[in-house]
Amino acid sequence: MIQPTIDNSCSNRIGLPALFVAFFRLGVMSFGGGTAGWLYREIVERRRWIDDMQFLSGAALGRLMPGSGGVNLTVQVGQLLRGSSGAMAAALGLLSGPLAIVLALAVSYTQISHNVTVHAILDGVAAAAIGLTFATGLKLVRFRRASAGPLAVTVATVLSVGVLRWPMIPVVLCLAPISIGLALLDRRGRNA
Amino acid sequence: MPDDIRTLLALALVFAPLSLLSIGSGAALLAEIEHQSVGVHAWTTQREFADLFAISRAAPGPGTMLSTLIGWKVAGLTGALTATVALYLPSSLLVFGTARLWRRWRGSVWHSAVERGLAPIAAGLILAGGIAVMRVSPGGPAVWAAAIASTALILRWPSLHPLALFAASGALFGVAAGLAG
Repeated sequence: MIQPTIDNSCSNRIGLPALFVAFFRLGVMSFGGGTAGWLYREIVERRRWIDDMQFLSGAALGRLMPGSGGVNLTVQVGQLLRGSSGAMAAALGLLSGPLAIVLALAVSYTQISHNVTVHAILDGVAAAAIGLTFATGLKLVRFRRASAGPLAVTVATVLSVGVLRWPMIPVVLCLAPISIGLALLDRRGRNA
Repeated sequence: MPDDIRTLLALALVFAPLSLLSIGSGAALLAEIEHQSVGVHAWTTQREFADLFAISRAAPGPGTMLSTLIGWKVAGLTGALTATVALYLPSSLLVFGTARLWRRWRGSVWHSAVERGLAPIAAGLILAGGIAVMRVSPGGPAVWAAAIASTALILRWPSLHPLALFAASGALFGVAAGLAG
């Protein structure tokens, strides 16, 4: 399969309105914190605007920097595709839908916040959104056909941050040098 | 200075610093938003805050829309816009600048090693994020079971649209609650 390389000549074809619309869709579909999963599905798998590595790189930086990981990833993808105007179009697209929806909900708020069925439906939607997040993470592990080293790093990250709930920043500061070292060694091994 | 301008300024001054302090999970952010809007500024009562939080959970979105709702409660639409921009703009500018610097190093051995080294960590953080959301979900074990079933379905049938799954899962929980109630 031919993966388009992302350079300026190629990305010029993606117009700002298209970028805005694509991220508007992501925003309104992002229930229960599933932005990364939707972004992977829509931008990487379906439209092929960026590749797996660019997605992962953006996702890592997006989570390590302050702010929402989903917004941070979006800003980077927009920037990658269309520079600063792309970043702005993507971020505005992502946020404008949820902003309108949350205000509409607030206007009708007494009916919503006390209705048991509504809460149950939201739980169900959130569960499926968590499933999308898990599936995305697992696909990315499988894609890399991980050799033992990177796989161990992924497992260590999940265990320490997800299961043991250790704070993310120190965990990443410990694991990153190991993982980057492994990547360097791997490269040397292949070159030799 | 007119009162409404002063209110908007107060909103911006509360949420803009939080934008740069919210590293990792939104939980710490939530506690601070509660402290500021209920305790410090008396923008909402405890009860109103709980309601706004419930509404913010119902809406889709990449992060918390709670700041938007508090802005709206305090100063209408301009308040909502002010609080939203204040919460998301500073962190977005920071990541924009950092990513641009980072891309200048593209092509070097180090750049590629760092990207390849961070990739398995990023995949792990995505999975850990799913676990974190699952843990705070008020739905309990039923949500965990549905989340795992959804994961299996998405991996098994990649062409299945997640929105169909969202709708099915939501309907299932809604019907179950209807039967239980």
